[in-house]
Amino acid sequence: MKRFLTVTTAVAALVAGGQSAQAKDLVVGMFGGSFGKAAQTCHIAPFETASGDTVVVQEGSSSQFAAMVRATGGDSDFDVVYIDNSFAAQLAAEGLLQALDKSKLSHAGELVDGAFGAEDHFVQYQWGATAIAYNPADYPTPPDSWADVFTAAASGKVALPDIAGTAGVHFLIAAALLNGGSIDNLDPGFEAIAKIAPEVKAYYTQADQIISMFERGEISIAPWYPDRAAAAGDAGVPVAIAYPKEGAVGIKVTMVIPEGAGNTDGAYAYIDNALSADVQKCFAENMYAGPVNKDVKLEGAAAKAVPPEMFGKLYFPDPEKIAANVGDWRQRWQREVTK
Amino acid sequence: MTRSRSAGVGLIGPASVLILAGFLAPTVIMAMLSLRDYSGMHGIGTDWTLSNYIDVLGDWFYMEIVLRTLALGLVVTVLCLVVGFPLALFILRVGPRMQTVAILLVIFPLLCNIVVRSFGWMVLLSPRGVINDALLNIGLISEPLDLMYNLTGVIIGLVQIYLPFMVLLLVPALQNIPADVEAAALTLRSSRARVFFTITVPLASPGIITGSILVFVLSISALVTPRMLGGPTYRVMATQIYDEFMTNLNWPSGAALAFVLTFIALALIWAANRVAAHLTRGISA
Repeated sequence: MKRFLTVTTAVAALVAGGQSAQAKDLVVGMFGGSFGKAAQTCHIAPFETASGDTVVVQEGSSSQFAAMVRATGGDSDFDVVYIDNSFAAQLAAEGLLQALDKSKLSHAGELVDGAFGAEDHFVQYQWGATAIAYNPADYPTPPDSWADVFTAAASGKVALPDIAGTAGVHFLIAAALLNGGSIDNLDPGFEAIAKIAPEVKAYYTQADQIISMFERGEISIAPWYPDRAAAAGDAGVPVAIAYPKEGAVGIKVTMVIPEGAGNTDGAYAYIDNALSADVQKCFAENMYAGPVNKDVKLEGAAAKAVPPEMFGKLYFPDPEKIAANVGDWRQRWQREVTK
Repeated sequence: MTRSRSAGVGLIGPASVLILAGFLAPTVIMAMLSLRDYSGMHGIGTDWTLSNYIDVLGDWFYMEIVLRTLALGLVVTVLCLVVGFPLALFILRVGPRMQTVAILLVIFPLLCNIVVRSFGWMVLLSPRGVINDALLNIGLISEPLDLMYNLTGVIIGLVQIYLPFMVLLLVPALQNIPADVEAAALTLRSSRARVFFTITVPLASPGIITGSILVFVLSISALVTPRMLGGPTYRVMATQIYDEFMTNLNWPSGAALAFVLTFIALALIWAANRVAAHLTRGISA
């Protein structure tokens, strides 16, 4: 028996070794958790079948990927990185990303306007939003305005996103817009949030931190992401999503090919696959990711979580303005809000 | 060069190379990084500047973080000492079988990852956690205690995590004290308390000081436990450095903060060594 095992392991090792020698590896940086599972089904599996390449996944967050790409200074270990557009804009400005060649992306013409970043350094494959998550039991009539978050603060059942994450930056901008400011004048936003800060139940830095707060009934409303809220709702958490009438703040999640990527051909094939209508629909149904391919038609739960008609009503802040100023905003937030 | 000298060079060579390449070179690179300018959208600049240090040292916001970190380190060190000293004495004076068990129990937590241990404390300390639930059920409290996401939680976690270091350094120090000295004092009708404070503690001071320095330095540079038990917005030096590097991508500012922390730690170690040298005159460690 022992001998049989040795022989089989040796054969298995030989086969595995032989395979990896022929096909290439594609190193992909992506987000973890439920996102990683959906990406395995919709993005990785079809790509591996079609190309014969092996995808090596490294999990992390946008900011961690940005730090890693910068640390390797133009000779990145990654071939493809999933990253929020403000970090992509930052890396592009530092000359760390390849400009994408649209002719190598067969689905480029099917995408919504503005999917490609300035000078084509990144391509959006998914839209998301920072909207309002609420407990339906506490809100017989769903909230319909950012103002509802502020009025609910007095009840002590509000959680806010910390500015470390995308939702925090977006909520700050939304608060400024609500109070007569803009992305260039965030003073009204800081003032409004600082006013309710003492009554805020908690700040979250990672999206899934507030799931347990909704479960335990500690909070009834929070600025959050529709995709996460829909997934949590499916799992039985008492949470639903509302798009505020002033407009939710849109998120562009992009894919980039860093300078120095070892398998550029594989990277283009991987991205092109992710932009195709079928895969976009798959990702929307598995992950509630808003599709950017105009040929995708959604129905059922996905259409409710990321309604295609909502896409045009989203406010997409300028990623370059965010990248240039977010450091100052974070400092000010730490001093005035979460001190 | 004599033969023994060349052999000596050969022996210290690998270690020297390792220290130069693995420690000194990165430190120099970080020091240079901390003197660069930074702005969003342009990244790390090429100009030399002291502004990263001036921003930290001239800003009450950062000084508060520095002071909070030092206070945290001090409290954790004192608590480790107060809890660890009796434990070390117990280990030393109990029977051989019990001694082995006790030492194993002290070492055992070190085998477990620090994230897991911190998470364990989250399970215990959270508002609906084991401790609060138990206290609520037996009616001792009517509202859950705030044990987590504040200083209390961080202190509890750090004391548990660094207690083994203190104990493991105190045991040999106490072992070095000849039993005859205490026995002699007791024969001369000195009270037990007096023996403890005038004989045991002074003679154990080399161990107390090394243990305290180690626990203090580990506490002020701890990242995981303050982040997990202090909550996302609880700030000490280590979490602030991490955020500068990983969230703000402002590496020069993070590097400057790291050097401020390093210099504070070095200054304190130096001072503690001076005090130790003064206290332990004539005691062989």
